[in-house]
Amino acid sequence: MKAIRKERLITVLLILATSALGSFLIIRALDSNLDFFFTPSEIFNEDIPNNKRIKVGGMVLEGSVLRDKTNISFVITDYKGSIDVRFDGLVPDLFKEGSGVVVLGYLKDETLIAEDVLAKHDENYMPPSIDIKN
Amino acid sequence: MCFIFSFFLNSKDIFIINLVSRIYTHSFFIFLSSFFIYIWLAISDNFSVLYIAQHSNINLPVFYKISSIWSAHEGSMFLWIIFLTSWGAVYNLLTSNDQPLKAKTLGVISITSVGFLLFLLLTSNPFETILPVPPENGADINPVLQDPLLAIHPPMLYMGYVGFVIAFGQAIAFLFEGNTNIRWEKQVRSWSVVSWSFLTLGIALGSWWAYYELGWGGYWFWDPVENVALMPWLAATAFIHSLSASSKSSILRIWTLLLSILVFSLSLFGAFIVRSGIIDSVHSFANDPERGLYLLAFIGLLVMISLLLFSFRFNLLLSNKKIISLSKESFISINNILFGTLIFSTMLGVMYPLIYEFLYDQKISVGAPFYNAIFVPITLLACIFLYFSIDTKWQQSFNLKSLYRPSFLSITVSGIIVFLAFYKLSITNFWTLSSLLIGLIIIIRYLIVIYFYFAHKKFANLYSVIAHCGLGLLIISIALNNNLSSERALNIKINETEIYKDHQVSFTNLKMVPGPNFDSVQAEFLIVNPNGKTYTLTPEKRKYFARGQVTTETAIRAFFLKDIYMTIGDQLDDGSWIVNIQFNMFIRWIWFSAIIMVAAGFLLAHSLSRSRS
Repeated sequence: MKAIRKERLITVLLILATSALGSFLIIRALDSNLDFFFTPSEIFNEDIPNNKRIKVGGMVLEGSVLRDKTNISFVITDYKGSIDVRFDGLVPDLFKEGSGVVVLGYLKDETLIAEDVLAKHDENYMPPSIDIKN
Repeated sequence: MCFIFSFFLNSKDIFIINLVSRIYTHSFFIFLSSFFIYIWLAISDNFSVLYIAQHSNINLPVFYKISSIWSAHEGSMFLWIIFLTSWGAVYNLLTSNDQPLKAKTLGVISITSVGFLLFLLLTSNPFETILPVPPENGADINPVLQDPLLAIHPPMLYMGYVGFVIAFGQAIAFLFEGNTNIRWEKQVRSWSVVSWSFLTLGIALGSWWAYYELGWGGYWFWDPVENVALMPWLAATAFIHSLSASSKSSILRIWTLLLSILVFSLSLFGAFIVRSGIIDSVHSFANDPERGLYLLAFIGLLVMISLLLFSFRFNLLLSNKKIISLSKESFISINNILFGTLIFSTMLGVMYPLIYEFLYDQKISVGAPFYNAIFVPITLLACIFLYFSIDTKWQQSFNLKSLYRPSFLSITVSGIIVFLAFYKLSITNFWTLSSLLIGLIIIIRYLIVIYFYFAHKKFANLYSVIAHCGLGLLIISIALNNNLSSERALNIKINETEIYKDHQVSFTNLKMVPGPNFDSVQAEFLIVNPNGKTYTLTPEKRKYFARGQVTTETAIRAFFLKDIYMTIGDQLDDGSWIVNIQFNMFIRWIWFSAIIMVAAGFLLAHSLSRSRS
């Protein structure tokens, strides 16, 4: 009886140890791969390292879009603060001045170098007028 | 309409199997007819129904009038329940009444259906009307959903999701009965494999649609909506494997029961995530806390009851047989653990943003890097265990020596191919090379199995062999696609030529093309490949009348190994256009592998159900 108990105890401990180790590894992988989301007004109040990928969401400021060949630059604003964005590539169909946008990229000299530009859409796939999640 | 649904309530109270069966059939037909009425309403443009008015349009082709039914929330749930009850009806039809678990299984199915029907009626009634003055025309289905593939993708996916209700119902009925001599596992195998095939097909179709319709050129984005479809798939895959173990002996029974509950709850959880809009997704569908709350409560209740039942019966289920190490069961249970880890990680990735925001008031998102870091090594590890399990037998430790000869051949051949890939294609990424190696080893090893099957009549489950070859191919294709694909944005004027990767890209023409319910700007590109062959690609931009929405239509030219994929962006002030060109390597092979698995799944299910009867 005692031998069986001991065996069970060892099994349970082993299971606990492995799952703890597994969870630890998974959560570590998770923590090093998070994309933090900021609004333009928050961004310069935070200390964000240049090698950290972040998401910035806001409205494309009217009249701020400049294009040069495949490069595009624009300003994202939440009407409290704003940030310059540079991107090389195609912007989505829903990208428009005065419309909502989310940019994924890295900070460099107070400019966001974009990896990806996403326009937001809801169930009806329409660009939302002003509601960017805060 | 409400009265019809209440019929379902009856089928639980009556314990005479025949009666249950009959009542189920009758109420099912009444319910089904309500769905046909709905289809007819959609076809005949009856815009006094709010939902149809919002999602259909007079100008739509009939096909899309029907598919508009499942283009948004209410109709989707309607279809979901129709499939749920249909699975029950087919089960009812094909299972003889002397099966001990039949009545209870039907009871579980009915209760689940009733739960969903109440959900439909209370929070999202598809029959809601706009009276007395219905609009003259509907608001139209979203243009990106006006696509034949997307018309059949949700039905396939739902078929897969809710098909597991049979396994779930049987499992609960089995637990309820508490008679361990009932071999329920055998009866649900073919049902589960069919559902798994539908689920796989549904996911593959969705991925293909996203590839050509959304214009991003990828096949998987690790979006929450995709992840909640992946989780039941992973659970279902583990489930059908451990089902095959426990239908032979009572080993792994606990796994099988737990997995059957897990698969079904994850399917429901998927419905909850997608329908509540609680998670920020690129294609988040709806934002309705009431719906979310109801679904969450319902799922929570189902899972809790199932697990309680399970824990009550736990002692009965303990098998006195031990899993012999290096037997087939041992490898299946190891892979069950690995699959469990994948499901857990995916769940964490989906839920972590919510938890994090709640705790730290900071919005975050979890992207592809996390999932890749978890999925690539674990999948490869699972494949290694799969490889070892090929030679194993049920309940017998296998002889390591028997591994040498076939392994020698498959590992040598794969090694040479991988070395060539490294040398010729200069692939240096460790994970790509390992995926390549492991994928190839699996395929070649299974080819040896097929050879022995035909040449020496050595027994093998041919369909499972084919499905696993599909898996090997899938891994290889994903690895190569990931490593070899490339893209670039070009800035090009009409009649100009640019060079991209030894291909000449000439912008030859631009014209306006009117469509049935949209206007389109169509660009024409002439591509000359290094061998001098020319191809024309015509990407478009469309503007739909009803919603004024602009969509991009990609132009894709498919070759044996690669796709040339073009989209047009905006026109600049100097008249030039921004154009994106991608070379997507091996991307077709990804879906092709999925199709192999689906076909093998259906064939396996067919052979299983024949051998049973």
